[in-house]
Formats: sequence, structure tokens, C-alpha cells
Amino acid sequence: MLRVIIAALAGVTLTAQAYAAEVPTEIKIGTLYASSGRFASISMPVYTSLKLWADLKNADGGVYVKAFDKKLPVKLVAYDDQSNTATASTLYNQLVTQDKVDLLVADSGSVLTAPAATIARDHKMFLFDQTGTGASFFSKDNPYIALMADPVSTIWPKPVADFVIHDGPALGIKKIAILYSTNEFTGTQANAFRKFIKDSGVPVEIVYDQGVPTETTNYTVIINNINNTHPDAVFTFGYAPNDIAFLRNVADVGVKFKMLFVIYAGLEKELLEKNVGDKGLEHVFTYVPASDLEYPVNFGMNLPTYKAAWDKKNSDGKLEFGLNAVAGYTTGLVIEKALSVATSLDQMELRRAVFSLSGNLKTLCGPFALDETGGQTGELTPLGQLEPDGHGHLKFVSVYPHDTATGKPVYPRP
Amino acid sequence: MPNALKHTLFIALPVLVIFAVLPGVYQNHLLLFNFVIFLILAQGVNIIYGFTGYLPFGYVGFFGAGAYGFAVVVMHLHAPGVPAVLAAGVAGVVVGLLLTPLLRLSGAYFAIANLAASLAVLHLIANPALESITRGPYGVSLSATFNPTSAYAAGLVVLALTLGAVVYLKNSRFGLALQAVREDAVSASMAGVNVVRMRVIAWLVSALVAGLAGGVYAWYVSVFYPDNVFSGDFSIFAIVFALFGGVASITGPIVGVIILYGIYNLIGFTTPQYFQLIYGLLIMGLVLFLPAGLVSLATRRGWHVP
Repeated sequence: MLRVIIAALAGVTLTAQAYAAEVPTEIKIGTLYASSGRFASISMPVYTSLKLWADLKNADGGVYVKAFDKKLPVKLVAYDDQSNTATASTLYNQLVTQDKVDLLVADSGSVLTAPAATIARDHKMFLFDQTGTGASFFSKDNPYIALMADPVSTIWPKPVADFVIHDGPALGIKKIAILYSTNEFTGTQANAFRKFIKDSGVPVEIVYDQGVPTETTNYTVIINNINNTHPDAVFTFGYAPNDIAFLRNVADVGVKFKMLFVIYAGLEKELLEKNVGDKGLEHVFTYVPASDLEYPVNFGMNLPTYKAAWDKKNSDGKLEFGLNAVAGYTTGLVIEKALSVATSLDQMELRRAVFSLSGNLKTLCGPFALDETGGQTGELTPLGQLEPDGHGHLKFVSVYPHDTATGKPVYPRP
Repeated sequence: MPNALKHTLFIALPVLVIFAVLPGVYQNHLLLFNFVIFLILAQGVNIIYGFTGYLPFGYVGFFGAGAYGFAVVVMHLHAPGVPAVLAAGVAGVVVGLLLTPLLRLSGAYFAIANLAASLAVLHLIANPALESITRGPYGVSLSATFNPTSAYAAGLVVLALTLGAVVYLKNSRFGLALQAVREDAVSASMAGVNVVRMRVIAWLVSALVAGLAGGVYAWYVSVFYPDNVFSGDFSIFAIVFALFGGVASITGPIVGVIILYGIYNLIGFTTPQYFQLIYGLLIMGLVLFLPAGLVSLATRRGWHVP
């Protein structure tokens, strides 16, 4: 009998030891950031906010990992790709093959996400795609990716198109102009916007539709050309430097479009305010980003609390607070929630856990929803307008969709 | 033993064997693949710059054209990987032919015009009006041919062909004629060398090499945007690696890639915060103390470096 008890105890001890050996001391999250180069301005806020999430969690003892039924600290293994895609490829591979990270998180933007998508698929690792919105990443035959914090490019401009379709005729919008920078992000948005308008059958004529190189810095001639078509509304899809140059040139030329939409007046409002000035942004239509819209949350901090934490961490003011400054934190929340429901760290189980959050998770970025390919469809940014707040600054007035609207559109622009 | 055979057996073959064996012992295959790509590109720069004196700042134009040549035949003709890589080489040569008039320029004028030409190719391919052919700025996803192992093998084959071409140039009358043209085109012409023909052939071979490399790269990465494959970093790295080792030699660009790209990755993995500082100091040191590249350390002592 004694032998049986000793044998049983030995068995239990060995099993416990084997289990203890399998429990990691930390969860390794691998990611890249670009401290320099053309993508630094979008990459650094995203990385900083992801790091903020990791620091906050570690200060709280880590994240709950259901697979081991305990809290574990997270270790962010991060390399600097300097906006170089070949370097990014090598570093992503380093994270997977040498550092053997448990979770792989892409750098910001589609160009630097592209190498990660290939490597993740090759190594059968699930990729937490932060802001790579390119439609080419998401297909039914690739289960190893999901978009965390921005809507996929093909549906992002839907609220803008819906505004033209539903409210445009009543406002007198019959002729529109489309100008876009020829890169994946803005080009896809312009394509999607055009398609929504055409498919709707609404009696709106596209009188100007032109793509220009992303490097364009002088829009004077283009603005005059657009003005000569007498549009009722002008929609420009460009990166922040494009929007800055366009808005400055609009002021220089002295043209007043009845309605003017630009992307980055909303996504990076602080940056645009610094470079264009409040006067140039008055009455401009733009996306209302999660950094300026208080969504109800069921997980993580709400916007005011998060903004306070961000300001405390970035008191030097080197990084502007915009959509990218909440994107990394949102990725962290999705990771945290997924780890709390995943029964193992197997990559397909992580995928199942992330997809199980679709429709159930509400963060400060809005409702988290994925389509079957992993494209983000929930965190749509409403259409808004920048209006003077009466204290010498600008405020967002959300104008569409109507259920989240906080005011009426000012049309035509005074 | 003839020099060409010696160079093949003792330089080209060991490089190929090492990169064929390394994937079995080192798991970061993409790092090894990037080494192979930069070995090809540095030798491509060597062919045009080392042997003719034309510095191709826009060399990435051929590389990107090759990548999109690969993508177009895969997307529209459903071609498998190998024929698509050949099509990539053809794309590089076609762009090279179109840009042949640039050879009328020389020195900085050629370098700048070549850079502008590569941007023109980029904007042509990324033009939304060509979306039905190239997918314009929206990027390509080539899941049908996705096969990193085969792409790596194809990279080794292209590297073998490129090294073979450089060995030939180093040991043939043709290569000697090219170097004569580089040193003094008028004297070479007086000696019976067809200067224009020589330059055009070297230019097209260089374009072919970059086009094939672009095709292999597209095969490996499978998802990319114009910005990925037309990144100026490819040109800069290839030129710096070739110059660091020493051009107009077989070993120079190989040494340059192994050392400089090795250091680049080492710094990137260990001390990324000092990345640009250390790398910048290295390149400054090269320019100040070894303008003819590392091989000049040996040639100054009278040693022959192949």
C-alpha cells in the first residue's frame, strides 16, 4: 500500500514538474517599429501606444493567460526597421525563427505589414495586423491574419459615401470631384468611395477624378483644374503631407470649395493644426477618429482615462495624439482579451480566440468586428466636420451616420 | 589551370555551396535570402559600374520591373514560378533597352538621369490607370506561386549565373575591352573596340541580373506594393556593398555584402538605437580611408585579388 502511495505521489510530483516546465515565465510579443524614414510618423505613435499597454499590464502583474490559468508578464521584443521593407523582412523572420515569439504583431501601415503577412503565413503564425489596411492581405485562403485597429481600406470611406448618397441630394450635392494619391492606402479608399457612389445609383456626377503621385507637394494647378469643373463637393484622399500641402495651396489660391473632405485633418488633427492652422481647417470635412470620439467600452480604458495615461507617458509632446496613438493600445487589448480566452498558445487557437471577440469586444477604438478573411469591419470612423469651438480652437462635429451625429453639416462652406 | 576555372572553383562555388547549406543550420531563411539577393544586386552593379564606370543610382528600376514582370505573368497567364522568373529577366532587359539612350550621359549626369528613370518606371507601374495589368498602387498578392523554398533555390541559380558572368568578364577579352572603355573610351575605340556595343551589352546584362533578382524576390515575398520593390534602399545598399568590397573584381562585392550586410543585421538585432550612427561611421571610414574598397588593402601590397 505504502508503495502505491509513494508511486502515486511521485507521479503527481512528476506531472506537476512537467506542467511547470511548460508554463513560460512571460509572453513574448514580437513587433517592429520605424524610428526613421517615411513611415516613422505613423509607426512611432502606434508602437508607443502598444508599449504603453505592455507597461501598464506589467505594472499590474501581467495579463491573464487562460492556457496556463495564471497571470504572466508580457515582454515586447521590438526591432527598428527604419521604414526599410527588406530590413523589416529580415527582422520579422528574426522574431519568428530566432526569438521565437509567442505572438507576432506587424509594424504600422500596409507597406511594412506586407513582409509580415508573407512571413506569418510561411511560418503558420497568426499576425496581429495593427493598421495595415490593404485589401490584398485578406483572403479566404490565408487564415493567419486579422486587422486590429483600423477598418479595411475597401470599406473605410463608407460613411463618407453614405453621406453623399443619403444627405447629398437634399443639400444640393450633384457634382463631386475626387483627388487621390496613388498609393495603396489612399488609392483604395478613393476606389471604394467611387464604387459606393456609382453602385448606389444616386444622381451624382463625378466631374473630376484624378490620381497624383504621393510625392506631390504643389497642388496649385490641380486646385484650379478642380475649381474649373464647379464641383459641389471635393473629396481628397492623401497622406498627411499631401493634405497639408493641399490645404495650404487652397488657402494660397483663394478658392473656397462648398465642401472639402480630407483624411488626415481628422486622423492626425494636432499635426494638421500645427502645419495648416485653424483657419485653413475650419469647416473641413474629415473622419472623426477614435482619438476624438468617446465610444462606450466593455474592455480596457475609455478615451479620457487613456488620454491621461498617454499624456503622462509622453509629456515631452514629441508625439501627437491621434488615431495611431490609440491603435497600438487597441491591439494590446485584443491580445489581452484573446489570451484570456485561448486554451493554448497554438496559432490557430489564437486565431479562434481573436475571431471569437468579433461583435463582442468594444474598445476605445469602437466595436471590434472581423469579416471571415480577418478584415476589420467594425471600427468605422464617422464623417465629421471641424468647427470653431468659440475658444479659438477647433472641435469635431460628427455629422454622419445620424445615430452618432453630434450636429448638422455646415454646407456650403461659409 | 585557367584563371576562369580557378575563380569558379575557389570563389563562386564555395559561395554557392555555403548559401545552399546554410538554410539547414540557420532558421532565419529570409535573412539568408536577402544575402543572396544583395549578392546578386551587388554583382549586377559591379558589371555596370566596375567594368564600364556607369554608376546606376536607379538600379532598383530594373529590380522593380523584374518583380512586376513576375507578378504580371503569374496574375494574367497563371505561369508557374520558373517561367515567371524568366519573364522577370525579360522585363528587366526591356526596361534596359528603353533606357539605353541614358548611356549617352556620363558621371553624375548619368547617375541622376538613371535615378529619375527608375522613378518614372515606378510611377508607370503604380499608375491607377494600369490597375487591370499591374494592380497599380494597390499591391499584388501571388498566393498561387507562394513557395519560399523554390524561390530560394531559384535565387541561388540566379546568383550562380551572375557570378559566372562576372568570372567571364574578369577573364575574357570582352571584359578587358570593357575596362579599356571605362578607362579611356577614345583610346579603346582607336584600338578597335566597339564602344557603344560593349556598353550596351554590359548595361543589358546588368539589367537582366537585376530583373531576375526582382523576379526571385517577388516569388519569395508574394505580397508586395510598388513601394516595396522600388525602394531606393535596394540601389543604395547594392552600390554601397559593391563599393565597400571593391568593384571590377569578383571577390570585392562578395566581401562587401558579407561584411557590411552582416554588420547591418548584427547592429539591427543588438543595438538598433545606434543603427544609423554605427553604419554611417562605417561608410564614412570607407570613403575616407578605403575609397577603392576593401580589396585595395591587398592590391596596395601588390597582391593579386581576383
